Amino acid sequence: MARRTAVFAALIAALLVATGASLALGAVKLPIAEVLEILFGDGGHGPNHQIVTALRLPRTIEALAVGAALGVAGAVLQGALANPLASPDVIGVTGGAGFGAVLILILFPASIALVPVSALVFGLLAAALVFGFAWSGRNRGSTGKIVLAGIAMLSLFTAATTGLLASFPERAPSALFFVAGGLTDAGWEGLRTTWPYFAAGGLLAALLIRPLDRLALGDDVAASLGSRPQLIRLCAGVSAALLAAAAAAIAGLLGFLGLVVPHIVRMAGGTSSQTFVVPASALGGAALLAAADTLARTVRAPIELPVGPFMVVLGVPVFLYLLRKAV
Amino acid sequence: MPDACPPYANKRRDGRELLLEARGVEVRIEGAEIVRGADLDLGAGELVAIVGPNGAGKSTLVRAVCGLQKPSAGTVRWSGRELATMRGRELARARAFVPQRMPVPAGVSVREAVAIGRSAHLRPLARMTGGDRAGIAAAMERAGAGAFAERALATLSGGELQRVQIAIGLAQEAPVLIADEPTSQLDLGATIDVAGLLRELVDDGLGALVVVHDLALAAAIADRVVVVHEGDTEAAGAPAAVLTPERLARVWRAEANLTAAGGRTALHVAWLDRAER
Repeated sequence: MARRTAVFAALIAALLVATGASLALGAVKLPIAEVLEILFGDGGHGPNHQIVTALRLPRTIEALAVGAALGVAGAVLQGALANPLASPDVIGVTGGAGFGAVLILILFPASIALVPVSALVFGLLAAALVFGFAWSGRNRGSTGKIVLAGIAMLSLFTAATTGLLASFPERAPSALFFVAGGLTDAGWEGLRTTWPYFAAGGLLAALLIRPLDRLALGDDVAASLGSRPQLIRLCAGVSAALLAAAAAAIAGLLGFLGLVVPHIVRMAGGTSSQTFVVPASALGGAALLAAADTLARTVRAPIELPVGPFMVVLGVPVFLYLLRKAV
Repeated sequence: MPDACPPYANKRRDGRELLLEARGVEVRIEGAEIVRGADLDLGAGELVAIVGPNGAGKSTLVRAVCGLQKPSAGTVRWSGRELATMRGRELARARAFVPQRMPVPAGVSVREAVAIGRSAHLRPLARMTGGDRAGIAAAMERAGAGAFAERALATLSGGELQRVQIAIGLAQEAPVLIADEPTSQLDLGATIDVAGLLRELVDDGLGALVVVHDLALAAAIADRVVVVHEGDTEAAGAPAAVLTPERLARVWRAEANLTAAGGRTALHVAWLDRAER
């Protein structure tokens, strides 16, 4: 218990530091006192005020929301499918969202505003197809069926995305940023479209914490407690699909985060109890993405690099270190 | 050829409260008839052992009366309520099902696992109260798991884990505990421990339905034995009356006889003398 409290405290500290850095750092470096003054005090209406409130604040909130959403999506899926390899990739959401975004970027570049909507729609469509197939025929709703249907759907949408990119090589660079994954300075636009999906997915995930703990003791124990194991898995899939599709709509394809963050918090906390893993994954995902995004736009400022690769660079060493200690 | 001992020709002999009443239960799985026309009764303070050869449908029958497997026909009543109409939470308080061996999630302690058993009493998102915590502690104590409450599940022996599984079931505070082969993976000493625990719980008023492979064990702990053969409950009654040499020969294809004296039971088997069969 003490260890879990310590991990929570460390995650909250990391979250605060990352948030502060994300607001203060960038092409223009601001002292943290000035940032606080602008946000909570009377910071005037100078250019710095503009930078913080119109650019960095929405971007920071986006990073926190997307990071938390992907962390929770991964935690919920890994719990529901009892499979350490589960992530939003595995239920097809990432593949579908990638295709949706690239479709607009390549075929309708004039309608770039539709990218988040298209990513959301195709991400949810892919997940719906996965669950539709997994819930038909024999052995409906089994973990194996969900994972296999998900991988099939991921392959299908990835092939379609690659096909589009290869067919229009002159337009491919515009889509590259989305595929690599990264945040932009588009202000509140992305969150305005996607917040209901974040909210619905997050609420569903919170309601699933206890049922997922039951499922961890096996389908029979869950059924003994009056739960329906297949319904829990379906709800977990819906929650993860909403969260991951909304995340992809804002920040492109950051599948790595959903896979790794729950493992990191499980290994750090020494437990797979969902009461710990789900909230800790939200904090950890948010902190990791905010930190990675800050790095991505400061290391070679004013050039911004996509956050996807940066997160991998930040996350993999931590992951491998914990993995070595865990086994 | 069903014989002299029809399962439930008459109503219960004593005044015990009838907790489970199943009649004509049939289960089909992918077209195959696994259970056909099975009957089952269980009263408070009664331990009923379900016995039968491999593939007879014992586990499927037990899962069907528990609501873990949908029956294709028949009626199941828990304390008079129809199984098909019961909601999950209601069912969780009517009976607890203890599987043969549950998966062991990493880093979860005994107390946390037993707390999960308590969750049927909590509303979604509600926090645990002092009463819930006391219920969890009492369940661990009754199952003899209190001594290792803070240990991780992954560090327990087979016998200790079985006690924890029973504690999880007890935390549901249902009047009936149903266990599917609770001792099949345990050594002799641990089997004796678990058998003694089940008997003790029943003597305190719990109803228990236990699938057992070991006939000598069944005869020692059960008030009644129900024989499942080819998907049907073909006999039920006192162990000595039901587990006759004729039935052992017909149902199990074994030349054997059961002896019981002074709380000890033994199955005398002609292990290698199968030539004439």
